[in-house]
Amino acid sequence: MERLTLLIVALPLLSAVLVHLLADRLGRRVARLSIGMTLLTLLAALTGLSAIIGGAATGQWSSGGALGVLLLDPLSVLMATVIAGISLIVHMYSQRYMAEESGYARFYVLLDGMTAALLLMVVAGDLITLLVAWHLVGVLLYFLLGQDTRSQTAYRYAFWTLLTYRIGDLPLVLAAALLFNAYGSWSLADIFAAMAAAPAAHQVFGMALPEVVGGLIALAAFARSAQFLMHSWLPYTMSGPTPVSALMHAGIVNAGGFLINRFAPVYVETGGVLHWVFIVGLITAVIGSVLMLAQHDIKKALGYSTMGQMGFMIMECGVGAFSLAIYHLIAHGVFKGTLFLGAGGVIHEARKDDGVPKDELHTFVVERRPERQHRPWLAMAAITLLVPGAILFIAHYLVEAGFFHKQGAVVLLFFGWITGAQLIFATYRMRTENLARLFTLILTSFTVVVIGYTLIAHAFELFLYPDPTLRAGIHAAAGIDLVWFDVLVGVMTAVIVAGWLFTYYAEQQRLREREWFHALRRRFYRVISREFFVNDLYAGVARGIETSATRLNVLLRWR
Amino acid sequence: MSISLDLLAALFLPLFPLSMVFTRVFDRLRHPLARAALLLAWPQLGVLLIAQTALPPPDAFIVWALATAAFYAYRAIALRDVGLWIAFIAVSAWSLLWLGAGDVLTMHVQALAFSVPLLLLNLLSGDLERRFGAAHTRLKLGLAAVAPRYAAVFVVAMLAAVASPVFPNFFSLLATITHRVAEHGAGLSVFMVALVWVLWTWSGARLIQGIVVGEGDARNVADLSTPMVWAYAGGFLFLAAAGLALAGVLL
Repeated sequence: MERLTLLIVALPLLSAVLVHLLADRLGRRVARLSIGMTLLTLLAALTGLSAIIGGAATGQWSSGGALGVLLLDPLSVLMATVIAGISLIVHMYSQRYMAEESGYARFYVLLDGMTAALLLMVVAGDLITLLVAWHLVGVLLYFLLGQDTRSQTAYRYAFWTLLTYRIGDLPLVLAAALLFNAYGSWSLADIFAAMAAAPAAHQVFGMALPEVVGGLIALAAFARSAQFLMHSWLPYTMSGPTPVSALMHAGIVNAGGFLINRFAPVYVETGGVLHWVFIVGLITAVIGSVLMLAQHDIKKALGYSTMGQMGFMIMECGVGAFSLAIYHLIAHGVFKGTLFLGAGGVIHEARKDDGVPKDELHTFVVERRPERQHRPWLAMAAITLLVPGAILFIAHYLVEAGFFHKQGAVVLLFFGWITGAQLIFATYRMRTENLARLFTLILTSFTVVVIGYTLIAHAFELFLYPDPTLRAGIHAAAGIDLVWFDVLVGVMTAVIVAGWLFTYYAEQQRLREREWFHALRRRFYRVISREFFVNDLYAGVARGIETSATRLNVLLRWR
Repeated sequence: MSISLDLLAALFLPLFPLSMVFTRVFDRLRHPLARAALLLAWPQLGVLLIAQTALPPPDAFIVWALATAAFYAYRAIALRDVGLWIAFIAVSAWSLLWLGAGDVLTMHVQALAFSVPLLLLNLLSGDLERRFGAAHTRLKLGLAAVAPRYAAVFVVAMLAAVASPVFPNFFSLLATITHRVAEHGAGLSVFMVALVWVLWTWSGARLIQGIVVGEGDARNVADLSTPMVWAYAGGFLFLAAAGLALAGVLL
């Protein structure tokens, strides 16, 4: 059964080689070959997943050396299935989408290579194999984004991606070196077992080794998952082909969440690392969402949306909801992949009908429909604050009575309230012809989302972390002092209430009449339209480095 | 005596400013095979010399070597000529050998691991110079548009040169970092080695962008012949196999 993991990695690799060798003979038909091989890969991954669900023992395949250990465990087979599934959809979509582009066979070679690298990453059972796969993903993405070899723009942004990924590789390299130095093995299973036996046996920089390694792994995850300050490449990689955008947003940026899950046994032994992970995720989620709302370009908006979602995913890791992060990255992969692959269709439709809602006067006078009721503020605010809480409480009580003792669940509950409010705003726009229907829809949405989320999260946790000690350890590592916890809950409540009040006054037009409000809004818009000046800063630093290097070379006569 | 030998070794495992001798000699030699011989022999001489000294070398030499590696990697970012870039990356890589100086046989192997991936790029660079007069980004060759097979081989050779997996220099760098952590803990020196690695990628990507990407001009350029492509593919496969074998030895 363990050899199945080898097959899962080997199939797309073989496909890449075959596509390259047979490209001249098969022409455009190489796509069918590639799709067929990806389908076989998916079937192999599904076989592994069903075997594990059916109770098959976890195991590993080893080449016999220091590297080349492949894991067959719940996390690896689940992720392999997701990657193979998304890759298959992207392969099929590209068959026609890329038909008119040059480098058709090269595209499929790279796509197969990327699928193989991603699969190798999720099944890697030793640090060297993980490093090789982690590094290769960045390199292959660079060339996939630069599929149009005539476009300097595409390569410029692909270069930013490559550089960010390479910088993000370094903490992982350092973590691997530290772990090998401490435990004398590259095998993840051996390292985790030795660490669990004596967590405080090794010190680095005056700290316990798990703390340092946990921090380094988190840094690597931040770069890969476009966390704030390492996010600037993500929204600008839209010059690449749409299928690549879909694969990148659905399967590649999620790697940060996977990495943190893979190193869960390290995080169990940490103290404060997960709190920092939470803070970075929170900042990224908020900034990503704000920047998404400010975009006019649909693909760039989707890019920032991914950034926000990745922030949310990292935040889930920060509160100890590791398995929920995996569920989130799968759900996000599916819906974001769909959005990207459908973006072309949306743009096409928009050329016929802009989809902008008619104003109320037009609706009333021309369409002769009654004016819609709107702004049921008090009821909405009450629903936003009370109903999700009640439903979550009931859901958790039904699923697992002890769930509420995990602080992470409560923190997520609060965040769920905020995003729930955003959902109401975005979906129903707070205006309706039928108030009763609106309320029914809102309640149904919340019920389905919250109960579904809770049930799935619980199921994922039992599947990915069958060991109750490890589950408890993860939640304990993410826990904080009760006083701080209460303070945070208070702050979050204040933020929600303040947000509602601000929206209420803005909508009531009281604020719109104030000059200071306009000035503030203009200033804020200037800042977010320049994306907090992060890209300007990085571009300036890069230019400075290149210019100074040139001057130095001239001074030294290029010797 | 030992210091004198160390200084002499610093000429062949080049440390700045003694490294300028190597870059000048490399630049003067125009024939690709002569350059290849230099790439192979120069660091091996350095290792032979360092083997005669009291190992490990003085701390000052380690600091000097790290500074040289970072200095040349940083300067390589501004280079537009492939030949000169190879010389700078060679200096940057070989100076890192001082960090792992201990077991002489391992040093010889690591020196080869850093040199051999540069050989294929050196041969390609020579061929580019023969065809176009220079292997320079200012020529705006747009190689992918005019000679796609040539471009593909160039890109893989460049990836090998900047220590991508699974080429030997990738594992050699990993071994250097691991060795450094084991001997001295995770400190500034490890960070510097990692930074050097990133700078290599930065400069290599700039060269790819300058030589491979673009519209290309109207000149009728013959692409690489099929036998040549297979020869290069064989070279890359050999490098990958050597890299994997080296991983078993070094790590």
